[in-house]
Amino acid sequence: MNFDISSEQQILQDSVDRFVQDHYELDKRQLLVLTKQGFSNENWQTMAELGWLGVSVPEAHGGFGGNEIDTMILMEAFGKGLVLEPFLASTVLGAKAIADGGSEALKTEMLPGVVNGSRQLTFAYAEAQSRFDLEDIITHAKSDADDYVINGHKSMVLHAGSAQQIVVSTRTSGGQTEKAGISLFLIDADATGVEITSFPTVDGQQASEIKLNGVKVSSSRLLGEVDEGYELLNALATAGILALAAEAVGAMEILYKDTVAYTQEREQFDHALSDFQVLQHRMVDMFMEYEQCKSLLYRATLEVVQNSSGAQRSVHALKYYVGKMGTFIGENAVQLHGGMGTTEELRIGHYFKRLLVIDAQFGNSDHHLALFAA
Amino acid sequence: MDIDLSSTDLAFQQDVRNFLATNAYKNGTDYAEWRLNWFKQAREKGGWDVTKWPENFGGPGWSPTQHFIWEQETAVAQTPWDLPFGLSMLAPVLMTYGNEEQQNRFLPDIRDRRVNWCQGYSETNAGSDLANLKTKAVLSEDGTHYTVTGTKIWTTLAHIADWIFCLTRTSDSGKKQEGITFLLIPMKQAGIEVKPIITLGGSHTVNMVHLTDVKVPVENRVGAEGKGWGYAKGLLAHERTGLAGISKSLAALENLRKQASEVKRGNGTLLDDPNYRAKLAELEIDLLATEFTELRSLASAANGAEPGPESSILKLKGTEIQQRIQKLTVEAGGIYSAAWGPMPVGHLFARGGMSGYLSSRAYTIYGGASEVQRDVIAKNVLGIKKSQSK
Repeated sequence: MNFDISSEQQILQDSVDRFVQDHYELDKRQLLVLTKQGFSNENWQTMAELGWLGVSVPEAHGGFGGNEIDTMILMEAFGKGLVLEPFLASTVLGAKAIADGGSEALKTEMLPGVVNGSRQLTFAYAEAQSRFDLEDIITHAKSDADDYVINGHKSMVLHAGSAQQIVVSTRTSGGQTEKAGISLFLIDADATGVEITSFPTVDGQQASEIKLNGVKVSSSRLLGEVDEGYELLNALATAGILALAAEAVGAMEILYKDTVAYTQEREQFDHALSDFQVLQHRMVDMFMEYEQCKSLLYRATLEVVQNSSGAQRSVHALKYYVGKMGTFIGENAVQLHGGMGTTEELRIGHYFKRLLVIDAQFGNSDHHLALFAA
Repeated sequence: MDIDLSSTDLAFQQDVRNFLATNAYKNGTDYAEWRLNWFKQAREKGGWDVTKWPENFGGPGWSPTQHFIWEQETAVAQTPWDLPFGLSMLAPVLMTYGNEEQQNRFLPDIRDRRVNWCQGYSETNAGSDLANLKTKAVLSEDGTHYTVTGTKIWTTLAHIADWIFCLTRTSDSGKKQEGITFLLIPMKQAGIEVKPIITLGGSHTVNMVHLTDVKVPVENRVGAEGKGWGYAKGLLAHERTGLAGISKSLAALENLRKQASEVKRGNGTLLDDPNYRAKLAELEIDLLATEFTELRSLASAANGAEPGPESSILKLKGTEIQQRIQKLTVEAGGIYSAAWGPMPVGHLFARGGMSGYLSSRAYTIYGGASEVQRDVIAKNVLGIKKSQSK
């Protein structure tokens, strides 16, 4: 047993920590939030140059050939800076979909661009009625000679406004909520019939609603087997959950540490706030739950990497706990900062918002508690 | 003890319902005109425009039960917007500690909703520890006016206020609570600058108010110099009761149930989800208890007692309940709770859900943070004294 990261991973961690320190002061970040695209092309290029955009891409296709632990290291650091670039959408989700489900030709066509930053991907899985159920899919793809024709509506797709290709979950057979009959396709964002409407999310990121009106896609763009896409869909959700949980752990660390620092500076009733035992105990609870989240993050990540039999349950446990405790830590960080905590001026509010959005992605805490208990 | 409504109460309830129905806003009509007319009609009912004011100041002299009925009925009806600062916070202070001239000068405008007030209490270093306030008021040598300099923070709606009631420091000697003076200051004058503070919900309701050498005539001082803390403390109790919002929460819970019934979940709706149902049920049970705590508080107030320690219980419980309702609204919104701004995506209620939830985080901070409320209960109700170190 060993929880130490390798020396290569240590180098990765040092370099991503430095990136966040240099590029993600709150003021700089908030300026990026206000742009239409919502992130920096320069940062994106830096990420490509440092090899991060190919962290999980196989070496044969120009990537780093890393696993979920490498992604975890990056995402945890991104969480500390509330990084805006679409790393999750493009590398963690989009590139994985192609690497795991695409033909050799498709990988050769798509992945090098992902790695060098010239190609941005995203993943459209949710629909208005699906809530958090991955298999609840109305959008359908109909076979038409060598092509498929897709009609439907996908919801809350991360950064679709700046992506070139979109992985879409569709129904090729079966009922609306069946796990069988699901197929994944890679479509071009500028294909005829794709209508993308983008809007900001609570945490300052960008998402889109996507209407698909008779979108033609070649069967060579099928990811995985036809009708048997659920497994890949779930694997992508798992990768998304692990990455988001790592990001959440990074955000929680900032929240509890900022709170400890603030209560030692702020004086009321002729004492530093941190002199009050009720506040000390609250901060101890925040710290403990942060550590517990980290433990579940390690547990689930290692089990997924090692393909252990309990991995799926640990992923549910992780997402449940991170959602619940992200809210707990965020709410208390605001409460202990008092009035200042409720403003946009301090950074804690922005970390809190990110944790709230993370809870609403790939199933909230209730959803995963129910799946864990089932 | 009984909780049945008497025939008189039932008749009153019907009267209230009729009034609210008759005076309901009609689409397409002028809102501002309707609003002022609503208060006029309420006044003609015998003080229904100032339900909480005592009878000798024009209030209706209702029994606790009648107040309760009014709260219940108005929580589910559309009533015109109203602000508590003049009506429920300053007015009781003026009635108790103001002189007759001040009462005649300020109360009619408050009653007619002609003048908006804001509350100048908190400062950067005087939050939970309000008595630590430093805004200075210096009396002129001839004793005709004060010169006020300092900065107030978290001033709700200062940007639309005509007047501010302000706690100022007139003396630094003695205990912090001594030397605080209660002044009434017009907002629209040189020397007063209002700066917006944008809160997490993305809205502008609170402000910083900078006062620089603002001259305040001595007639605008309420009560005696240096005694303002005592007046403000009584006022805080009023504020806290008003913040509990039990009837509104009951109505909001009903609304939430309706929203949840519109959210599809598997073959049913979110309301069929046992986990979500249990959370709604827990919330309802808390509300059932808190509603009766409020009734007990109203009953003791009717016997002439000032709002006391139970107002702290109400503030604590009431605001935590409001926050939980907001949280469950966000949960009902599902993936769409993350959407921000005016984009029409997802359920209609999800759009305001997150903003409402984020704004609600301030409920357990303003008007005395929850931690301070618990201190108040520990000290004043449980009688816990801090032991001296040995």
